[in-house]
Amino acid sequence: MDMQEQLRKIQEDAQAQLAQVSDKLGLDALKVKLMGKKGDLTLLRRSMGQLAAEDRPKAGQMINEVVAALTEQMDALDARLKKLEQERKLAREAIDVTEPRRHRAIGMQHPISLVQDQMLGVFTSMGFDVVEGPEVEYDLYNFELMNIPKNHPARDAQDTFYIEDNVVLRTHTSPVQARTMLTRKPPIRIVCPGRVYRADEVDATHSPVFHQMEGLVVGEDVTMADLKGTLDAFAQKLFGDDMTTRFRPSFFPFTEPSAEVDLTCVGCHGKGCRICKGTGWIEVLGAGMVNPKVLEMCGIDSKKYSGFAFGVGLERIAMLRYGITDMRALFEGDVRFLSQFRDD
Amino acid sequence: MKVPMQWLKQYTDVPVSAQAFQDAMINHGTGVEGLEDQNEAVQNVVVGKILSVRKHENSDHMVICSIDVGEAEPLQIVTGAPNVHEGDLVPVAKVGAVLPNGVKIKKGKLRGVDSYGMCCSGPELNVPEYLYPSVGDKGLLIFHEDYAPGTDVRSILGVDDTIVDFEILANRPDCLSVWGVAREAAATLGTTFNKPEIKVETVPGKMSDFVSIEVRDTDLCPRYCARVVKNIKIGPSPMWMRKALNAAGVRAINNIVDITNYVMLETGHPMHAFDLAKVKEQHVIVRRAFEGEKIVTLDGKERDLTTDMLMIADQTNATGIAGVMGGEESEITEETTTVMFEIAAFDRSNIRLTTRALGMRTEASGRFERGVCAATCREAADRACQLVNLLGCGEVIDDVFDCYPNPKPQTVVTASVARINRRIGMEIPGETMAKILTSLHMDVTLDGDRLTVVAPEYREDIEVEEDLSEEVLRIYGYEHIQSTLLRGETAPGTRNAHMLLSDKVSRILVGMGLYEIRNFSFISPKLIDKLNLAEDDPRRTMLRLTNPLGEDTSVMRSTLVPSMLGTVSLNQSRNNDAAMLYEIAPVFDMTGYKQGELPHERPTLCIGAYGPDVDFYLVRDIVLDVLARFGVECDVVPGAEPYHHPGRAAKLMAGGKCLASVAEVHPQVMAAFDITKRTVIAEVNLELLGEMRTPMGHVRALPKFPAVTRDIALVMDEATTVGSVLASIRKAGGALLESAEMFDIYRGAQLGEGKKSVAFSLAFRNAERTLSDDDVNPLMKKILASCEENNGAVLRL
Repeated sequence: MDMQEQLRKIQEDAQAQLAQVSDKLGLDALKVKLMGKKGDLTLLRRSMGQLAAEDRPKAGQMINEVVAALTEQMDALDARLKKLEQERKLAREAIDVTEPRRHRAIGMQHPISLVQDQMLGVFTSMGFDVVEGPEVEYDLYNFELMNIPKNHPARDAQDTFYIEDNVVLRTHTSPVQARTMLTRKPPIRIVCPGRVYRADEVDATHSPVFHQMEGLVVGEDVTMADLKGTLDAFAQKLFGDDMTTRFRPSFFPFTEPSAEVDLTCVGCHGKGCRICKGTGWIEVLGAGMVNPKVLEMCGIDSKKYSGFAFGVGLERIAMLRYGITDMRALFEGDVRFLSQFRDD
Repeated sequence: MKVPMQWLKQYTDVPVSAQAFQDAMINHGTGVEGLEDQNEAVQNVVVGKILSVRKHENSDHMVICSIDVGEAEPLQIVTGAPNVHEGDLVPVAKVGAVLPNGVKIKKGKLRGVDSYGMCCSGPELNVPEYLYPSVGDKGLLIFHEDYAPGTDVRSILGVDDTIVDFEILANRPDCLSVWGVAREAAATLGTTFNKPEIKVETVPGKMSDFVSIEVRDTDLCPRYCARVVKNIKIGPSPMWMRKALNAAGVRAINNIVDITNYVMLETGHPMHAFDLAKVKEQHVIVRRAFEGEKIVTLDGKERDLTTDMLMIADQTNATGIAGVMGGEESEITEETTTVMFEIAAFDRSNIRLTTRALGMRTEASGRFERGVCAATCREAADRACQLVNLLGCGEVIDDVFDCYPNPKPQTVVTASVARINRRIGMEIPGETMAKILTSLHMDVTLDGDRLTVVAPEYREDIEVEEDLSEEVLRIYGYEHIQSTLLRGETAPGTRNAHMLLSDKVSRILVGMGLYEIRNFSFISPKLIDKLNLAEDDPRRTMLRLTNPLGEDTSVMRSTLVPSMLGTVSLNQSRNNDAAMLYEIAPVFDMTGYKQGELPHERPTLCIGAYGPDVDFYLVRDIVLDVLARFGVECDVVPGAEPYHHPGRAAKLMAGGKCLASVAEVHPQVMAAFDITKRTVIAEVNLELLGEMRTPMGHVRALPKFPAVTRDIALVMDEATTVGSVLASIRKAGGALLESAEMFDIYRGAQLGEGKKSVAFSLAFRNAERTLSDDDVNPLMKKILASCEENNGAVLRL
């Protein structure tokens, strides 16, 4: 056989074998058979010495072409095989992504904290500082400085837990207002969140421990219109742009004039529903202009300064916001209840 | 305060519907709790005249009546009532009628005979006997007066009114009266308050001939007014008065008692009627109780009195508690012939103290506590006498007893129109303000910006300009309040340090899967006993409420643990298989507490967790992470609280102080709280954390030279803690030892009983150059020697 014939045969055989190769092992073996130390093409190239010198370049070129062609084919096959192999591996590694969760879910703050946090966000953005104070409080701060003297009937409205004659569990966060006015000079803008206590038996809408947030602004020429503007802004930031407030006359010893403040019903946005008993309004706040007696008792010149104050129950807001119908759920700590909340 | 509209309308026009009236009153300062229309309870029931009665053929007790109800044809009605007589007038519920029990009358067939309605008994109309006495009769109600058939029975029975239940604000005791509400209604609706002219027809006589009165303690009784009525004829009061009382929620009794109640409701003045024949020696003394004095009150209870309580007494004994409850002896009875009306004003704080101390409250005491105006006592007394004239039930003596030594001067308030406007943020003209205040019966002088106002005596709440601003604003209308934004210099608001700290703690814990809970701040003292605390443990001392709702909520908690264990227990009892909970709240620390002062409130974090993935290490690492986020690195030291599992408890120490504890709950404590699944509890002192937190410094540049790592396994006693070995390693390793971590613990037979092999990975690095074995080998030697010497831990070969 002449060399050309041999080369053609090697190439044909190689191609026939290539077509049979199904894995890397086979391909490697074929590579060795063709191009290894004793491979067919290697031996053929070595045998070129027997050719006439003038034929050698041509023969070499022919061998090179075959080697190049086969190498290209083998490389392509190699790539195909690698890809196939990877696909098989990936297929083997497939997992059931619908298996139940294995890792702990993220937790959540208490709904009262969520509401409080949102409200603090609104008020701090309006320039209010957050101030807290003690829960066991002097009668002086809780009542006297709020213009509720001893034996005043207004004390009936806030059934008080007493520690001693002059120490109570605070019935509102107003003592924090008193403490602040006694230590800070106007202008004052504060909100006071916290736990408060009243001697109410536990039921769906009452709890002897509950949470309040009160606000106080004292400055020059602070008006009732500013109070309304502030509460409108608060309502809109918390419940939506279509919210507004409605003021009704009321009485609190620490404010004059005083107002009960209704909010556009969060259930129906004013159209009337079960939550608002068809009125379109829900009562959420008490507010008013700080009684000058309170300012004076707290060392603030009531001729120069005026102020407003408001107070809101956080349970009420949380119950409205999240559709909670029984206040007891807030203090029970059942994780099935707690895990329903989101901080949006 | 229930106000019947018919009563109210005697004194002012109400030219709007009941609903519109209610809304207007609410918007201008008088709250409304409810509206009751008596007409809704009974509808379509009329007077019927029985024309004929015949037997029912298929019944031995029923009869068939033909009844004239004022219509063209009489109605055929079948009834089983025993007292059916031709010619009687009875109430007939026509087809479509509604009865108070909610029954609607339909056309019926009784044993084959059509019946077009129902004849009613008294109870079926639900009218109290004191209002219309015949309703107490057996069988059908028979009207004994002459009424035209077809007349609506509601007007006959006195139940055809609409009643508004007003919610009177604490500063407006003057509105606890029909007149007070009428005054407000007139100002609200722009109508006029028509106060009746009060004139009394009298017969000559001297008070001293009937009674001698002595007011000894005028400080507690600023005014005591009395009038005497003789030749009394006790009997029922007229229908209009009974009806008004009934609608206002008061029982009618007899004419004299009804007059006292009527005057109280109309004027706001509680009054008391004494049967003078039964007042010992006709002597009435108003004085403080004597030391050790006792009284038996109308309810039959003997009560101990104190010397700051005001009594109504005869010469020897207290017979009534002033302003609270009268005496039984001098009660009005059928035999009463001479009566003394008492209309007084008592000190409201004193009445309040007395009712509190005795635990008794009455309609009168409630009114006196809120404030009864002394200035109008005489007027109320005269009104009562005028009603005696009107009812013709006695003769009023012209002499009057009136002890009012220090009449309260009228309050004059001066105010500035501009300042009022500035306060309410409006531009109401002075003239409008003057008009509004005048409509509230104030004497107003307007001079430019200056308002001079004399408030009526009964408006004791009007003292200063700000009070006027509220009066102006509420009548002008709160709906006119503008909405403006705050002006002036201001800085961005900030949260206080504690809030920032607890917010951050919360964020970390929430990210780690914990849920926040909020428990009551007061607990049962019994819960503390369940914690196995030593007798002298300071946490056993807790602040006690003097008036708790119950023993379960009677002390302020000195630790958050009992409430947390309660919540864990609740979750386990409800088959929640896992819960990781935390609470941030103050504990009330009584260490160093002085009576009359406030306890120390220390912000505290408590974690309680159980579940298949929960163990000590998880909770410990969560707490360590929280602390690390505040720049506080802690040493974990074994140590247990009495409620901790002694072998699974640690204290987290920093700077020689215990910042936190983490432990499994002691099985005994678990049992006490009905906890069945192993539970881990942690407490962190947030106050201390706030003090120890350090701000983050600068970052370290990443190393330029490689580290040399060495892994070693050390065999040690089971009791030797990994932490102590790591401490030895770190100390001996010095500055070049970059990190030392444990990566495995092995226990096996070849190590021997009570031994464990702990594998550590150590990394050494020098920031300036690459380390060689020559650098590291001596350090390793030193480390191994130290572990052996300090911890008895030897290299495993």
